[in-house]
Amino acid sequence: MSNAAASALRSPRLHLVLRVLLGLYFVHASLAKIADPPAFARIVYQWQVLGPIPSNLAAVTLPWVELVAGLLLIVGLWKRDAAVVVAIMLAAFLVAAGLVMARGIDVVNCGCTAVAAATTPGAWPPSWTQGVGWYLVVRNLLMLGAALVLGFMAVEGTTEGSGLES
Amino acid sequence: MMPRRRLLRVACIAAAGIACGLVWNSLSGRGFILGQSVFVQAGDEVVSAVEAKAWLDDGALFLDARPRDFWRMHRLHGALSLPEDDFDNGFSEVEARIRQASRIVVYCQGYGCEASHLVARTLRERGFPAVVLDEGLPAWEDAGFTLDTESRP
Repeated sequence: MSNAAASALRSPRLHLVLRVLLGLYFVHASLAKIADPPAFARIVYQWQVLGPIPSNLAAVTLPWVELVAGLLLIVGLWKRDAAVVVAIMLAAFLVAAGLVMARGIDVVNCGCTAVAAATTPGAWPPSWTQGVGWYLVVRNLLMLGAALVLGFMAVEGTTEGSGLES
Repeated sequence: MMPRRRLLRVACIAAAGIACGLVWNSLSGRGFILGQSVFVQAGDEVVSAVEAKAWLDDGALFLDARPRDFWRMHRLHGALSLPEDDFDNGFSEVEARIRQASRIVVYCQGYGCEASHLVARTLRERGFPAVVLDEGLPAWEDAGFTLDTESRP
């Protein structure tokens, strides 16, 4: 990576913006699922990736991990570690979405941020933003990139390492 | 590799979230039973594939709750179509057989499919002894039982 690019990715301002945006997204994503665990479990079932009992466990625990990591990102406490947790979750969601798409399973509401039934045609937000598909993959890849920058690129002017050293 | 201190913090964040989730599920009043399918409600009865096979051999009626096109492609031997998405029409077609049946097993595509639970519940509300095949067709095949793959009109 060139010095200029590396320097840009270590910018304190960039880190602040990415951290707060990612944190807000994950807190927002967790709330509807925490409010209605069985509704979220029904959505996890539709992905058909884990089996029924592991899906139950994922449905009751994942939203809380999202909430805790999101809050830590927003307040800036253990922020790089919270970013690693978010990166791990995003990577897992991407693998699961890949399995769903490869098997041709139609999941109309991915359960990413909402547990309500999918919107009617023509409604806002459009249905292609709700289901498991390429929109979800691209969005998660962008967020994964942000989480990796936050987790593994030390802010310029600090003495923190990249986190990659043993 | 990440330093041990960072790994420990990552594990702490995950553990805190998991603990909160489990406590919330058991204490908030919004949770559900983790040891069974979320589709199972009070009063529902679920049978395993092995048990259902014994019932089938004993003359039980099997109903396929998937959309009709799936039933046309393949089904359990002797199963009739009663699609959840077209229940009323389907019911009038198979009502005579349902009334004769002493045992009724409803199935659909697998653990991610709620249709069999909805159809069985509606049948029970109408007074018929309907139960659900646990985890549907994949469980049936996993147990080593075959499907009828002759296409139907």
